Amino acid sequence: MSNDSIFKTFLVAFLLCVVCSVLVCLAAIVRIDKEAYNKQLEIRKTVLAAGGYQQQIDAGGKIDELFTTNMELKLVDLATGEYTTAVDAATYNQREAVENPELSVGIPADLDIAKIGTRAKYAAVYLDKSGTVVLPIHGGGMWGPIYGYISVAADGTTIKGLTFYQHAETPGLGAEIDNPNWKKQWPEKKIYNSSGKLAIKVVKKGKYNASAADAVSTVDGLAGATVTGNKVNAIIRYWLGENGYAPFLAKFKAERG
Amino acid sequence: MAKAKDALLDPLFNNNPIALQILGICSALAVTNKLSTALTMTIAVTLVTACSNAAISAIRNHIPNSIRIIVQMTIIATLVIIIDQMLKAYLYEMSKALSVYVGLIITNCIVMGRAEAYAMKNPVGLSFLDGIGNGLGYGVVLMSVGFVRELFGSGKLFGVTILNTVNDGGWYVTNGLMLLAPSAFFLIGFIIWGLRTWKPELQE
Repeated sequence: MSNDSIFKTFLVAFLLCVVCSVLVCLAAIVRIDKEAYNKQLEIRKTVLAAGGYQQQIDAGGKIDELFTTNMELKLVDLATGEYTTAVDAATYNQREAVENPELSVGIPADLDIAKIGTRAKYAAVYLDKSGTVVLPIHGGGMWGPIYGYISVAADGTTIKGLTFYQHAETPGLGAEIDNPNWKKQWPEKKIYNSSGKLAIKVVKKGKYNASAADAVSTVDGLAGATVTGNKVNAIIRYWLGENGYAPFLAKFKAERG
Repeated sequence: MAKAKDALLDPLFNNNPIALQILGICSALAVTNKLSTALTMTIAVTLVTACSNAAISAIRNHIPNSIRIIVQMTIIATLVIIIDQMLKAYLYEMSKALSVYVGLIITNCIVMGRAEAYAMKNPVGLSFLDGIGNGLGYGVVLMSVGFVRELFGSGKLFGVTILNTVNDGGWYVTNGLMLLAPSAFFLIGFIIWGLRTWKPELQE
């Protein structure tokens, strides 16, 4: 039979498609199971890192074990600062909730300092046994969105750690927000000043003055990455401000602190 | 035997897909800022080129001429999807670092080029070796570029600190250009220059 007959052409095309689709399906079946777990593991790792468990992770601690023994997932209604059970915490996905009109709310442009646009109504926070709480934060970066977690001590104002798990900042400059040497500035910084006003800020590299009165709420920026510094500043200030976690942190302090 | 050796070793220098055939440049720019990503990409491309070459060669006498490109594409795409899915399943962080570039192996001209130019005319064994050779030829350039970019861009090799950078409290001021894709362009240019000076017969 000639290779170029219509019948042979259809036959070869059909058989090839059958074989290839079976192979692709098999690969997808393997991947789907594993990927869900991998994504969960990544979130758990970031939450633990932000919550101050980086040393245990580096020392080879089992992430799942550390996570399940220490972290408890709770949903917080951002408008009231109260815990909520309006949706099931176990299946709730804060990042996907942004796409759902019933679970999200638009941020008015004048309040949207971190260029978030629409945010979820409920935040998936993690309560750590040691008394801290790990809060998800996100917002616009220089080249793309930045996602991360920040942890706050039981007093509702002392930062315990900050970790980003997704960003597209410039390699070598803005991407240094992942550098442990930069991140180690964050623990023990105070979010609010003595009169309860939002005080935490990221300043331009070199403008940090250790002897200034507000040094305890100031983080030095990154060299060559002023824009990234400003974006991180906006993200932190939005989420820890009145429109973010401030109502929750006030209640959290009253309850735990 | 000599033919097998040629099929395997020729693409390394004498007929290097990147340096001589100037194929597969885009992914060479994108994945070479770290050696680990460059190595994973090398392995992925080598596997895809070798397997697609072998598969296409095995059925080359039954491929109707009118749809041969589509048949090649389907086989290549299937292999790429399988590799992509396996990376997502077993090397999740690596697949995040490589992002879309694994999927883009489908459009990597090396794979398609070898299928059309070699596998359609040669037996399975030789085609397989040709695929391995071309994947490694691609890998030689990728790893060399990755070596320079990671060393001078972040002071590391395979993530291990070699030059202690200023950002980590050391002395080495990193070369920011090396972290960005255009630097790979210059490096590949130097490699092509070097190769053609070493082997003048490669000059056009």
